[in-house]
Amino acid sequence: MNRTGLPDWLSDALPERAAAPTEIAEAARHQVETIGLPGLRDEEWRWTNLRAIQRGRFHAPSGVGADVEPSTRLPLDNPLRLRFVDGAFQGVPDDLPEGVAITALADADEATRAAAFSPKPAPSVENPNDALVTLNTAMAREGVVVDVAANAIVERPIVIEWLDGATESTMSHPRVLIRLGESASATLIEHVETVGEKPAWRNSVIVSSIAANAALTHIALGLDGESRLSTTRTFAALERDARYHSHNVQLGGRMIRREYDVHVGGTGAHTDLIGLMMPHGKQLLDTHTRITHAAADTTSNEHYRTIADDAGRGVFKGRILIEQDAQRIEAYQSSNNLILSDDAEIDAKPELEIYADDVSCSHGATIGRLDQEALFYLRTRGIALDEARGLLIAGFAQEVIDELPIPALRDWLTTRVEQRLNDRSLPVDSDA
Amino acid sequence: MALLEIKNLHAEIDGSEILKGIDLTVNAGEVHAIMGPNGSGKSTLCHVLGGRDGYEVTQGTITFDGHDLLEMETEERAIAGMLLGFQHPVEIPGVKNIYLLKEALNAKREAQGLEEIDTFTFMKQVRELVASMDMDDAFLHRGVNAGFSGGEKKRNEILQMLLLEPKLALLDETDSGLDIDALKVVSDGINRMRGEARGIILVTHYQRLLNYVEPDMVHVLYKGKIIKSGDKTLAHRLEAEGYQEILQEAS
Ligand SMILES: Nc1ncnc2c1ncn2[C@@H]1O[C@H](COP(=O)(O)OP(=O)(O)OP(=O)(O)O)[C@@H](O)[C@H]1O
Ligand SMILES: [Mg+2]
Repeated sequence: MNRTGLPDWLSDALPERAAAPTEIAEAARHQVETIGLPGLRDEEWRWTNLRAIQRGRFHAPSGVGADVEPSTRLPLDNPLRLRFVDGAFQGVPDDLPEGVAITALADADEATRAAAFSPKPAPSVENPNDALVTLNTAMAREGVVVDVAANAIVERPIVIEWLDGATESTMSHPRVLIRLGESASATLIEHVETVGEKPAWRNSVIVSSIAANAALTHIALGLDGESRLSTTRTFAALERDARYHSHNVQLGGRMIRREYDVHVGGTGAHTDLIGLMMPHGKQLLDTHTRITHAAADTTSNEHYRTIADDAGRGVFKGRILIEQDAQRIEAYQSSNNLILSDDAEIDAKPELEIYADDVSCSHGATIGRLDQEALFYLRTRGIALDEARGLLIAGFAQEVIDELPIPALRDWLTTRVEQRLNDRSLPVDSDA
Repeated sequence: MALLEIKNLHAEIDGSEILKGIDLTVNAGEVHAIMGPNGSGKSTLCHVLGGRDGYEVTQGTITFDGHDLLEMETEERAIAGMLLGFQHPVEIPGVKNIYLLKEALNAKREAQGLEEIDTFTFMKQVRELVASMDMDDAFLHRGVNAGFSGGEKKRNEILQMLLLEPKLALLDETDSGLDIDALKVVSDGINRMRGEARGIILVTHYQRLLNYVEPDMVHVLYKGKIIKSGDKTLAHRLEAEGYQEILQEAS
């Protein structure tokens, strides 16, 4: 196949020494130079083009940022903050809770670094669809390793603050490894915020491994910030009876692409993937999920909602793969989508691949406008049309927000979404 | 002056005429029952009175409490004191019941030039009403009608009516599918609303409701027209003889 390779500015930025063990880094570097960035011809990238990145001429950050603070305070109880400014890790905090060890990726031993660059399910260095992970492997110098000891129940949320855009046109390729020992439990929150006006691009990878009977809750909060470009990939490997609960809330950014690869690899394991995306303006918010049921008696539950306004675009693709020996599987997926303006667009696609025979699997995707009957009902109660619309839109989002496990965060997000909806340029629905 | 005066009302949905010349007058203080076989146009009449999009009035007039109803938006009709109880109350998950109640009450208060109700007074009033409808407080914090049983939805409609105290309540089959306990609670709610200043229209298939809420007038709607009106004994005749007799008599 004829591929153009990396743009020069990106190729020139490939570092001499990366954080990945030499062999892994070399292979990645070699491949990605040939393959280049994924494009519309690659199956997983049909709806999302990386033109803004291709043309971006981003450069590595020059190491500023010690004094950069996020402008948003999340309502969290004594969080453990791991701050990245333009992808650069700002250091290990000194008040770690019991059972938690944190290491800067650069300081980790070779075996740990190898683990950080060997996720399960393994992406392929030859597959163009995986080119951004390969690029991250070739580029990553910064990152962090979080280890949670067996039986540790970590109450304090571990917050990764991605503060992007502190310096103009920077790009970053950080790598995070989080490992939960047997029966451990922890909450990882990604607080994503754009701190500058000019575009910045973050291409980050989170690799998680969740040992038997352990539970990881992973909440991603992409807050407002019109110029942000990010391409991110999360891998989660689940052993026997492990749980991975993911909540993905995307409210801002110019182009946000998130990919989740969840390997449900041990009997009794379960995953939830919950998502809310609200593209407006000219934003593109895209989530691709891939769940692999590789063991018997495993379950998954996926629920994504998108509300697209103005000329915003939402993309959701959810793949569920059930391997041949994985019997007695329950896998549910739903994707409900609301389009508020004629220029908005949503692409939603479920993809099921089932090789086992004893499987209970369902999926459904809806794309629609506001329910006219519900609008009428509210209006018969004296609620004005605009307000009734607002209530229905907020209610649509609320159903996903209600699934968040932290009550204070739920309330905070409800208010945040309400503000966003109040600011929107009415009227919507020309047909109402 | 009549509270509601409908004259020669014709209405269509998607170009087909459903209401074919309805005349009906309801005075303050009266309870009217409208009965009629399936598909005769009862719900259509309710939706036209509510001002639903897609229901086109082609002829006739409707005056409500001195206003030209057909000139008003749905929410304006509500604020002017009309309440529509739905045959199939809509499920709105994500919008809490308590929130809807408060917004609805405040919309009405705003139109009356009153301040927003304070939370304490509001909650007290709502809790009392909830108890009187034999409902659980937990309903208030669930999505509007979301996952409610048929009977719970109907109680919820009456609850809203009791809170909003409309001048005219238009209840479309609020009694259908209710077991006897729920029917008693619902009719008790309706009887509490009854009063000098208010009109009530009960759309129903069953005479049973009328044993609990005695109507002043009973109308038979058939193929988009009121073919017969009478006092409450008409409902007994319908129950005993069926529609056939009455239809023949009317034609
Ligand atoms: N949206 C619609 N489009 C076309 N025809 C409709 C629509 N809604 C109702 N109708 C027709 O209008 C007629 C009257 O229906 P309506 O629902 O008003 O009857 P009803 O008396 O309330 O019946 P029921 O006792 O079953 O509730 C029926 O023939 C019905 O099929
Ligand atoms: Mg009906």
